[in-house]
Amino acid sequence: MELLSSLIFMLVIAAALLGFVMLLALILVLAERKVSAYMQDRVGPRRVGPFGSLQTIADAIKLLLKEDIISLQADRKLFILAPYLVFVSSFAVFAAIPFGRNLIASDINIGILYIMAISSVVVLGIIMAGWASNSKWALLGAMRSAAQMVSYEIPLALSILSVIMLVGSLRMQDIVGAQSGGLFSAQNRWILLDNPFTFLAFFIYFISALSEVNRTPFDLPEAESELVAGFHTEYSGMRFALFFLAEYANMFAVSAIAVTLFLGGWSGILPGYTFLNGVPGFVIKVSVLVFVIMWLRWTLPRLRVDQLMSVCWKYLIPIAFFNLIGVGVWILIFD
Amino acid sequence: MADLRTEEMELNMGPQHPSTHGVLRIVLKLDGEIVLDAEPHIGYLHRCFEKHAENLTYPEIIPFTDRLDYIAAMNNNLGFCVTVEKLMQLEIPERAEYLRVLVAELNRIASHLLAFGTYGMDMGAFTPFLYAFREREHILDFFEAICGARLTYNYVRIGGVARDVTDESLKLVEKFLEDFEPHVHEYNDLLSYNRIFLKRTVGVGILSPEAAISYGVTGPNLRASGVHWDLRKDEPYSVYDRFEFDVPKANTEIGEIGDCWNRYMIRMYEMIESVRILRQVLNQIPDGPTMAKMRAAIRPPKGEVYMRTETPRGELGFYILSDGKNKPVRVKGRSPCFTAMSAFREISRGLMIADITAVIGSLDIVLGEIDR
Amino acid sequence: MRAYFRNIYAAVSTILIGMRITFKEMFHPSVTNQYPYQYYFEKRKNVRGIHKGFRGQLYIRMEDCIGCKKCAMICPVDCIYIETSRLEKGITLSDTRAVVRLKDQTVWIGELLEGDEKIEPGTVVKLRDLDGNLHESPSEHVEHVVTSKKRRLKLDRFDIDMSLCMFCGLCTEVCSTSCLYMTQTHEFSTYDRASLLFHFADPSIYEGLTPDETETKAEDGADASEGRKQKAARRRQREETA
Repeated sequence: MELLSSLIFMLVIAAALLGFVMLLALILVLAERKVSAYMQDRVGPRRVGPFGSLQTIADAIKLLLKEDIISLQADRKLFILAPYLVFVSSFAVFAAIPFGRNLIASDINIGILYIMAISSVVVLGIIMAGWASNSKWALLGAMRSAAQMVSYEIPLALSILSVIMLVGSLRMQDIVGAQSGGLFSAQNRWILLDNPFTFLAFFIYFISALSEVNRTPFDLPEAESELVAGFHTEYSGMRFALFFLAEYANMFAVSAIAVTLFLGGWSGILPGYTFLNGVPGFVIKVSVLVFVIMWLRWTLPRLRVDQLMSVCWKYLIPIAFFNLIGVGVWILIFD
Repeated sequence: MADLRTEEMELNMGPQHPSTHGVLRIVLKLDGEIVLDAEPHIGYLHRCFEKHAENLTYPEIIPFTDRLDYIAAMNNNLGFCVTVEKLMQLEIPERAEYLRVLVAELNRIASHLLAFGTYGMDMGAFTPFLYAFREREHILDFFEAICGARLTYNYVRIGGVARDVTDESLKLVEKFLEDFEPHVHEYNDLLSYNRIFLKRTVGVGILSPEAAISYGVTGPNLRASGVHWDLRKDEPYSVYDRFEFDVPKANTEIGEIGDCWNRYMIRMYEMIESVRILRQVLNQIPDGPTMAKMRAAIRPPKGEVYMRTETPRGELGFYILSDGKNKPVRVKGRSPCFTAMSAFREISRGLMIADITAVIGSLDIVLGEIDR
Repeated sequence: MRAYFRNIYAAVSTILIGMRITFKEMFHPSVTNQYPYQYYFEKRKNVRGIHKGFRGQLYIRMEDCIGCKKCAMICPVDCIYIETSRLEKGITLSDTRAVVRLKDQTVWIGELLEGDEKIEPGTVVKLRDLDGNLHESPSEHVEHVVTSKKRRLKLDRFDIDMSLCMFCGLCTEVCSTSCLYMTQTHEFSTYDRASLLFHFADPSIYEGLTPDETETKAEDGADASEGRKQKAARRRQREETA
């Protein structure tokens, strides 16, 4: 009985979270289109709903009504499984993100480790998609993506390690709690400003996260101009929509983690209930980061695959290691 | 481990591809990411221009030349008309010559803007494309005001130009020039000196000067390889010898001789030089008739002629063989993009797939001209 | 080692400069023209229209066509089909109207009061148009003048196949009476390709014509044969010198 009621409780929360993620993807797709339009001296979607707000719903309906093409030589089971794998692992990250003081779906004591582990499953989904499409273009895109994502997990983990070293716990709510002092206090500051090394760690995290989400300048796997559409060339209709939604959900998730780890999560600028506090504050901070991600996409050209790898292995990883040592030394000396 | 067999993968960058500029098919032989051989297949846009020209009178051929290199149509018209006038030994009134230079240089700016925009898009930067088209709109508006069409103009005629230009239309050009030059510097900041763009294009796809000359590459591609040759300065036609302008040289501080970055950057420098020429044209343009006095039916004397002009893509040459009638016996167009494409195979050995896009974009090819 | 850090600095600084430009552009007004709504709005309110000399769809003033077939001959794609026939004896058609075109592509049609096809610099060209308004312009602004001509042929068929037309405008330039012109219509797509073959010939403009009096018929006949004799003499002269 206990088991059943707790199971139903969990299902309700999961459904709520799923609804939230869908809504989020809707808003983010529209935001991207509007932001890109304003940067390019044009207007984005305007006709469907006020300020184009219902555009994504119209697109989703269109994608649902499209013909579901699976090529005869494609590996059917893997082809069908891949988008679900990518979407589910992007979605599962949301279970451990703290939105507010008591608003976290599951406050496990290995929060950040769980997040890093689950987001690695996306690589599996992408390789499956590329292989099962039975197309050379898709395969190339998938291989590149796999190499890219696996490599960039190292600086990602290293920058997160510096935060964990500072806080001493893997639990997400603890990390936010360690920043409850706000922006200006001497102790329990936002981790971004705690330490020149953690300041650097934030940028390392941000760049690696960009690469994990496959956004420009690291969007070679889905490079439109080179590989038609990379690993999701052969997908049409709702399966393609799942990849698309997964990318935007991932973008939000990665920004949310950055805010939680470095920018204080749901704690405000000053201790107590003040500006940029709680859920609205969290959402504002995440939106700023998401805007910066979109801004970068529409400004920068793409890196080539070997340059991508060299940025990771020759620049980010040495700097991240050096950073880690720096944080450790700082803690030793000053705390 | 010794009998681990690796095969080369053959990949088809087919006629429908987002980044080849037109219908071009490239068959790539890959070893992982490295290209061993890139073989271009052309002919998907062949429309028998040269055969058509044998059955049309000379004024009727001019709209067909528009459609060769449809992005720089005025320059094609100019090339053909200059060739026929050389055969007929015809004198053009001054105002017509200045108007021809005006539209040719404006079209050069428009064509280089398009090359800049699409190159940025190939590299993954989507915004320069829209900025370039915003500038092009002003130029195309002016062309619509003077000749009624936006892309295929049929404006430069044998003996002069079709319609005259009023002073208000010339003021449109002046206004455009004022706004345009600071924008070029903005685009340089946004794309040309961007570190990521530099990493993608510097040192990639090097075409040595000897190879460039032996393949017959001309235009900005040749100047980027270090050969200082521009038909407007070295063999001036029309009234180009009255204007003061420099021919851009390859920039060796940031890029290397003959690489993609220099080919792209020469186009940016050329836009600024064209602005200089245009300012001088607007100052010096005289009044007068716009069409030479000649008989209605154009019948060049018997003979053959070859004349070359400098289009935004290189040296466009027309060879006309005439036997005195009002239709030519043979017209041949020598297209600059065709020779650039022939050098492509040699440039692209040893590059990666992502570089192939960079190389094609920097050669700035238009399939309409290659296939005719 | 130094190159390593210089690399990082160059990367970050150029990226930031690029980002500043796109951020600034966000606040510039957009250049989108909301076609078709804004376009029709502008057309209705006469705020900004298509330029006057625009090469859109072809149209012809059939009352002014003399059937010289110059347009059909010069068309590069042969999309104009013309068939003419002689009038019955004694019937005359009205003369064509005169046309003055200025350099900014304004066109006046009507009766030419002052001026000639050969534009003399320093003179003034005057025309009274079909509504009775008087227009005049110094000859520096005039692009060409077409005087009225006698119509001698009846047009049985004047078809233009717009699906072949390449909008080069050559036919409008060689028209002897400037009656073939290009309008500003550029949106005329149809569902059926055959409906793009426009039939302009209008037999109703030849109805109700009556033969002239016999005296004038004789004079016309005399003039006509004289004209033919002179033409033959001129052709013989040309062939001798050529």
